[in-house]
Amino acid sequence: MKPDVRDIILDSIADGVFTVDDQWRITSFNRAAEQITGVGRDEAIGQRCCEVFRASICESDCALKQTLATGRPIGNKAVYILNANGQRIPISISTAILKDAKGKVIGGVETFRDLTVVEELRKELAAKYTFADIVGRSPAMRRLFDILPEIAASESTVLIEGPSGTGKELFARAIHDLSPRGKKPFVAINCGALPDTLLESELFGYKAGAFTDARQDKPGRFQLAEGGTVFLDEIGDISPAMQSRLLRVLQERVYEPLGSVAPQQADVRILAATNKNLAHLVSEGRFREDLYYRINVIRLELPALRDRREDIPLLVDHLVAKFNRLRGKDVAGVAEDVLALLMEHDWPGNIRELENVIEHAFVLCRGGLIQVNHLPPSLRPKAAAGARWRPGMTLEAMERVLIADAVRRHGGNRKAAAAELGINPSTLFRKVKALGIDLPEK
Amino acid sequence: MRIAIPTWSERVSPVFDEARTVLLVDIEDGRETSRLETSLSEAESAERAAKLAGLGVACLICGAISQELEARVSQVGIEVIPQVCGPVNEVLSAYLRGAIQEPNFAMPGCRHCCRNQRGRGGRWRGGRR
Repeated sequence: MKPDVRDIILDSIADGVFTVDDQWRITSFNRAAEQITGVGRDEAIGQRCCEVFRASICESDCALKQTLATGRPIGNKAVYILNANGQRIPISISTAILKDAKGKVIGGVETFRDLTVVEELRKELAAKYTFADIVGRSPAMRRLFDILPEIAASESTVLIEGPSGTGKELFARAIHDLSPRGKKPFVAINCGALPDTLLESELFGYKAGAFTDARQDKPGRFQLAEGGTVFLDEIGDISPAMQSRLLRVLQERVYEPLGSVAPQQADVRILAATNKNLAHLVSEGRFREDLYYRINVIRLELPALRDRREDIPLLVDHLVAKFNRLRGKDVAGVAEDVLALLMEHDWPGNIRELENVIEHAFVLCRGGLIQVNHLPPSLRPKAAAGARWRPGMTLEAMERVLIADAVRRHGGNRKAAAAELGINPSTLFRKVKALGIDLPEK
Repeated sequence: MRIAIPTWSERVSPVFDEARTVLLVDIEDGRETSRLETSLSEAESAERAAKLAGLGVACLICGAISQELEARVSQVGIEVIPQVCGPVNEVLSAYLRGAIQEPNFAMPGCRHCCRNQRGRGGRWRGGRR
């Protein structure tokens, strides 16, 4: 084929294409390659490919070098290049060997696709499932997103219940930010972390002379949040004495700083959160019923992460993007087997635990995909398997665990789970029924 | 002063963001007085810039560098001469004789300077201290 005909054909391809000789010098460079790299064909031809292409893998893991060494092509490897302006361009590359008519190797060919648009679409999609920094697309989260603006617009007190690490403060912040008080202060306090006397002075402040070391007035959190929102975290942990003081604030919207005789008006909205079941505490007589009803005007229940496993891939993407931003790294995501492990884990620590796992992986992962060996040891397969298999288990019990795990790993997709287990979907349904397995919703 | 040149196979490393080895050269009165090689394991931009600053580097001569990393390195007070290619020793001697802006040391597509005759416009930003 004449070189000019070859160039016409190459230029009509939307993917970048270049070829190299056995000395790694560029021998052809199509128009798309010029556009993606920002390097003109005239400048590229005859130059070393690594100095034109500037890919993240040139030095350590050159795909073309691998292909020329093994003879095997590589397909769709995700890397980044630096274009002529120093911008990082995400691309996927494929490589193949070039031979002449006699079958002698004369070099290699690399094709590459600009993934910038794909990345942007991915971000757009993520934005669709993100609400005021909260990420989720599970039905439970969508229901919360739907009612959040109305809740925010109201002036009502909100009780946010949910296990530790489910993002109660994030929700409280979102309610505040979306409310008419959004531009006023948001003041959070962890009621469980402070002893009574300290909590009282923190919440209500004190006057000079109220006690030995009180040399000057100290404003409390209620005063600092004037016009805004006070978030009382771990409200289930406060003492009966503090409960009655808080009740007064909620009922009459007034409070008295320590050492003061004049009550102060409190123009604040109160949001409260707990990881305990307040109704249960009320029935046990450990939480005042009247305070409970004052707080429980609107109640939001945040689901545990294990109850919204379908959100895990989205949360992982969100956390990877967050740590890439914070650490200036270029981690592309998690490998498939890592995602399978994350989907399988029980997440007693919820999103906070997931965040810690990704942060741990970021320390060990230099770039590319997070692999199993980057995960904390507790999440690696051996440990997980050990926890599930007990000596003396019956065959039925093992089947129950295997089937439940497979279905969970495939996000509730029974057909895919059956395929993985090597059985017919109808056999799977029969076993699920016979063994009484409780499967997650699709 | 101390200059740093990331190296790979005795040439300037093509992508500084991914470079694993850096050559440190001490220069006095326009002459090389000592050199040593050190590894760069830091993957994060801020850490990479801090490592160079910690090594007492005043000027970085490198190949391609991401905008983010270039900004970080500049932030810690290090002059950056980017988009340089060629054998390390030739690059170094060109720098010492004030000839690093010659077109044969410019990476293909270099937009930074007048070094590359095809890279029209713009003024050379770097230079010797």
